[in-house]
Amino acid sequence: MSAHNSPDPKTATLWDTHYHGHDVISTRTFGYFLYLLSDGMLFATLFAAYGVLSYSHSYYNGPTPADFVHPWYTFTQTVALFLSVLAYGMGMSALKKGSKAGVMNGLIAAFVLGAVFLGLDIHDMMDLAAHGVTVQTSGGASAFIVLTQTHAAHIFFGLIWIVVMMFQVMSKGFTTDTVGRLLTLRMFWHLQAIIWVFVYVFVYLWGYMS
Amino acid sequence: MSHGHDNPILHPEVQMASVRGYFTGFLISLLLMLAATAMVSSHAFPPFGLLLVITICAAVSIIAQIYFLLHLDISEHNIWNTVSLVLFIPLFILTIGLTWWMFSQLYLRTMPMMPGMGMH
Repeated sequence: MSAHNSPDPKTATLWDTHYHGHDVISTRTFGYFLYLLSDGMLFATLFAAYGVLSYSHSYYNGPTPADFVHPWYTFTQTVALFLSVLAYGMGMSALKKGSKAGVMNGLIAAFVLGAVFLGLDIHDMMDLAAHGVTVQTSGGASAFIVLTQTHAAHIFFGLIWIVVMMFQVMSKGFTTDTVGRLLTLRMFWHLQAIIWVFVYVFVYLWGYMS
Repeated sequence: MSHGHDNPILHPEVQMASVRGYFTGFLISLLLMLAATAMVSSHAFPPFGLLLVITICAAVSIIAQIYFLLHLDISEHNIWNTVSLVLFIPLFILTIGLTWWMFSQLYLRTMPMMPGMGMH
């Protein structure tokens, strides 16, 4: 064991004095991304529950998704959500140029289209309840409703967040904090569209065709 | 992950937004969902084939959204987001797949099978 390459303890520097500190925005967005992945595990458990409760005996001779899912109705929800995500993206492109008006327009459009998605979902759930399909109907109906409404709850909180960001952009402008929050909201909103693809294809469409 | 910009607008995660990318991701996902909806509502294929086709539609749509919307790739700035997503995928699939498999085996051994009672 030679000490040939060891630095002299008296003169060694333990850390880089030119270190500029953490990149605050990247540290926050990465942390938020990890949170979103754990949110994905919440959906994994709900998909697993739906998987084991989508056998014909799970519906207790009651209505199944083949009876109460209307693919084209739910497709309009898909269009609304994808357009909302696109509108948010347009807002982020405006942020790139530092345009406050562009960001506000993107946020407003994303909010309106997200609200359309939620309105269609609530109308659908009221319709199901009117036809006697509630969480009390059967295990299969519970799994269906809890999974789809957990997604809808995410959209609801996303809408609140969009409103909060509209006020913060107006009052504070593009500070490190508000820009970081716009970026984390971007990830949140995009993730909801990605989870919706799973919900739409494997719960609505597969349920309808079974 | 250190960039040291004072102006948050110049941060790479802001600057990586692209109008063309957002439109590409939007169009790919929307057309795939349109195709899946049309095939399912017209019962274009027998159930197993249909499930296979809509699964492919979902997978391509999700990959397009992750690439064009979330901008996840192997660039220096995004590599850790991509690594954590890649590590997340097996957890997601195993949670759903193993739970579903356990219960399908349980049902097979404990439920009296009536005609037409299989996988709904």
